[in-house]
Amino acid sequence: MKRQDFEEAALPHLSDLYRTATRLLADSTKADDVVQDVYLQAWKSFDRFEVGTNCRAWLYKILFHVVHHHRRKWFNVRMVKDSEEILDQVAVSSDPILEHLTDEEILCALDRVPHDFRAVVLLVDVDEFSYKEASAILNVPIGTVMSRLSRGRKLLREQLAETAQSYGIGKGKLEGRTA
Amino acid sequence: MRLVQFGDHPCARIRRYVDSYINNELLVETNHEVLRHLETCPACAAEVESRTRIKARSKSAVQNQSIPEDLEARVRAALRQDSRSSFAWTRWASAAAAILVVAVGLWVEVPRWTRPALPELADRRGQDVFIQKASASLSAVLKVGLGDHIHCSIFRKYPKDPPSVDEMAQKLGPAYQDLVPLVKARVPEEYRIILAHQCGYQGRRFVHLTLTNGSSLLSLVITRKQPGESMQALTVSDHVSGVSVYQATAQNYDVAGFETDLFLAYVVSDLGARQNLQIAYALAPSVHQFLAAVRS
Repeated sequence: MKRQDFEEAALPHLSDLYRTATRLLADSTKADDVVQDVYLQAWKSFDRFEVGTNCRAWLYKILFHVVHHHRRKWFNVRMVKDSEEILDQVAVSSDPILEHLTDEEILCALDRVPHDFRAVVLLVDVDEFSYKEASAILNVPIGTVMSRLSRGRKLLREQLAETAQSYGIGKGKLEGRTA
Repeated sequence: MRLVQFGDHPCARIRRYVDSYINNELLVETNHEVLRHLETCPACAAEVESRTRIKARSKSAVQNQSIPEDLEARVRAALRQDSRSSFAWTRWASAAAAILVVAVGLWVEVPRWTRPALPELADRRGQDVFIQKASASLSAVLKVGLGDHIHCSIFRKYPKDPPSVDEMAQKLGPAYQDLVPLVKARVPEEYRIILAHQCGYQGRRFVHLTLTNGSSLLSLVITRKQPGESMQALTVSDHVSGVSVYQATAQNYDVAGFETDLFLAYVVSDLGARQNLQIAYALAPSVHQFLAAVRS
């Protein structure tokens, strides 16, 4: 395989990978290192990549592998158990008024969602991977993707609501909501 | 936050599907079931709408993040370096394999070898060795330019948002600040200046501008001559408006040079000999004129 083939297949996904890495690590400098590492690792194993298959998903799988190793080095990682259940009790939090929140505030709220839930939210909601693809990228069952997505979205909503309320926005908007 | 107990209420069943419904991951029948419920349940419909809006807003916030302008160039440079290293390793391994065959034939034990690693950003010693190897085939006067290009442009972390042209010009100091607009006006439109500063390497001072076209890095490196230094012994590539331009290739790098009575100037890149020389030709007359006027 030529480097040119690799660059043509892999570099169009550079921006998406960088943005996702930045949010996974909540640090653009670390994301920069990680993304370069991802491309070097991908290039080294490009002979094993099947042309015509999903290059983007393949790169994301490498990204999560690299992030996992970097996080073990940088942080004390608290692992999330896979037994997150969708509760019958549905938490109803104040609905943040998103129009009043800046991108920066939304990203800060996202960064406060625990890593494993944030990872699924990023893969499914931002990068638009299917449950099956996210499951393959993260090497977890589809049920775990679903439960982490549900929990991650709830946690994100809570964080957004907290941010909104700290500015006095949207206070009590959903109070009284029942099914 | 309040908790609403759904129990066996139909909403409880539907709410379990909401995330998959938003992601279009439901079977057709289940999807229809959710749709029918949403038509009659304002609370669940509001819930779907709220989650959909949060999804869309978080997606746009992530996608609005800016990307470092030179990220692609740096990734390409890292890939090129790795390719060269792998290529050297392959050649070396082939030679080693041949020796192994002979050694096995002679019943001689062969020591293990390891793949040479690329230097890390913090590994200054490794970088110096890398630069020495990369510039080994060049004449001493051209090594100066390539050395600073690799040292300062390749082994570097660039800021996420490069400073403005005015800020960079100020950083160069009053003697050299006019170089920034001068260079900007003479390189092809797709090239952006991402670094302009004065730096040092191997005991010399440099005026250094780094440019990128999005996929490659190019340096204009200027340093004062030391006693006896000259490019005149090199083969001239061409004379442009009376300025002699020289060029040589070392590994994947091309180094074009020109000089005044006081300065050595280099255009260094991995764009390929032709393209590097074209940019050197475009810059040489005006940069030469600029340097000829710098006396102090």
